Amino acid sequence: MKEVNKETLKIAAEKLLFDMEDSQYETLLNEFHVIIKQLELMDNIEDLSSYSPLSFPYVDESFSLLRDDEVIEETLLNKEEVLANAKEVRDGQIELPKVVG
Amino acid sequence: MNNYLNLSIVELHNLLLKGEVKPSTLVLEAIEKCKNDEFNALEALNFDEALKKAYELDKKEVPSDNYFFGIPYIAKDNLSTKGLETTGGSNILKGYVPSFDATVISILNSLDAIMVAKSTLDELAMGGSGRSGHKGLQYNPFDKTKMHLIGGSSSGSAIVTAASYVPFALGSDTGDSIRKPASYGGLVGYKPTYGLISRFGLFPFSVSLDHIGYFTRSVEDAAILFDALNKYDENDYTSSLKERTKVCPLDEKEVKKVAVISEVISSIKDEKILNSFKNYVQELENRGVKVDYVNVDSNLLKAIYPSYIIISSAEATSNNANLDGVKFGNRKEGKTYQEVMFNTRNEGFGELIKRRFILGSYALMKENQEEVYLKAKRVRHAIVDTFNKILDEYDAFIAPAAPSVARKVNEDSDALDDTYLIADNYLAIGNFGGYPSITIPLGLKEGLPFGLSITSKIFADKKCFEVAKLSEDIIGLKGLSTSNIDEFIKEGK
Repeated sequence: MKEVNKETLKIAAEKLLFDMEDSQYETLLNEFHVIIKQLELMDNIEDLSSYSPLSFPYVDESFSLLRDDEVIEETLLNKEEVLANAKEVRDGQIELPKVVG
Repeated sequence: MNNYLNLSIVELHNLLLKGEVKPSTLVLEAIEKCKNDEFNALEALNFDEALKKAYELDKKEVPSDNYFFGIPYIAKDNLSTKGLETTGGSNILKGYVPSFDATVISILNSLDAIMVAKSTLDELAMGGSGRSGHKGLQYNPFDKTKMHLIGGSSSGSAIVTAASYVPFALGSDTGDSIRKPASYGGLVGYKPTYGLISRFGLFPFSVSLDHIGYFTRSVEDAAILFDALNKYDENDYTSSLKERTKVCPLDEKEVKKVAVISEVISSIKDEKILNSFKNYVQELENRGVKVDYVNVDSNLLKAIYPSYIIISSAEATSNNANLDGVKFGNRKEGKTYQEVMFNTRNEGFGELIKRRFILGSYALMKENQEEVYLKAKRVRHAIVDTFNKILDEYDAFIAPAAPSVARKVNEDSDALDDTYLIADNYLAIGNFGGYPSITIPLGLKEGLPFGLSITSKIFADKKCFEVAKLSEDIIGLKGLSTSNIDEFIKEGK
């Protein structure tokens, strides 16, 4: 397991595009110490490696999972309503700060 | 003020049918109660639209086969509502107005149920306390002194049902987010089999664990609501293709055999809760139900919480990556688009969910995938295998839904104690395996409720309701709310 220290946590936060107060990293670090102890409890389970990782409660023919890639007119969203949620819009497009000169 | 809304959906429907009450009377009462909300339950209000619809319905004949006609309700604010702000309890979505309805909202609209407001929650449905959302703390309405919380994450929906602002409210449940606050609020809280109620339009927290469900004050109401919402939806890729059948009418005589997990019971210390459970089990046996105490490896039960927190946080990190303020949300300014996203996320997310995202991200790091993330998913498999075997043998497994009554505002648990690891977190088994699972009121302790949990195997929702109906008859707290608790206490409950 990757070592957990304030630096690791800061790097993770940066990748997630946010930061926290120093005291909040302290809280998180303490939380990690507890969580790591809790994670160790998983090692007490007999024969755990014989189980494959389970991604959904059950998977069988009862899920549709994939559907044909068809446009369904009645569920199409209204462009104006969708764009109304973007803060800056110009010519029907969402505007962001210019990247290149 | 009128107090019709202390009645059940079925009772209200009968009054509407007889013409003794009109939809607008009910909606006006719900609005009045929302306006006087003391427990911090609400988000966006939908009063004008609700009244408009109610007055239209006043002029129509009440259909005898539609229980939801003219019935006011409230929806958790992580369910998309067209034209009405939906924040997920987070500042990052302040001002976001969905351009479509969640499928559950569309179904209720089509049945002429009337949504009067949205209810608040723990931020983006993460955190089970009812204190992490952008509205602050949600108080337990059974304690007027506001010393106790209602619990979360469906905190607002639990309050509005317990304090009878409405006869039912929608919620979501990823670990126990309906069933735990239902226990603290003396409510019926239901989570269906995974794949039966569409999640289209629900803000995803952890898609492999998320369920939409609801709060009511009777098992019968919960069952008729299930029959209304249990529909295939092509917009939800996990919507089950299985043919749907109605659960109503319920037949309690069909309940034959239930299991009690001994290790869950032995991790509970509260004598009052244990005694109430014991008395209830005795009465189940008196009525001819076979009750077996079954053993489960306690190491497996103690691993529920760590595997839950890893899987849910990892999925949450990924599911919420779209919250960057660009397409929607509370965008903050910056000199570059990266700065816009950083500032939006930095200012928009609260502390608790930042911590959860970091934990999720840590679990997904290359070095940790096998030892943390995949291991948690193996634990999930071991738990589901174990409980599938138990549930194949029994109609349900039963236990108190929580080891205590509602928590005090500043109360925290010992995170390494068995009571916390097992009794406080075992409800996540229902999410791991996608099982139908319900909480109903079990008893009262110093004026605060505590609940009973009943869980059945997948697609056995009818059986789950039948065990619940029988248990409700035995326990005798049907219809409990803040306005009638004194009567139940007088009866010696």
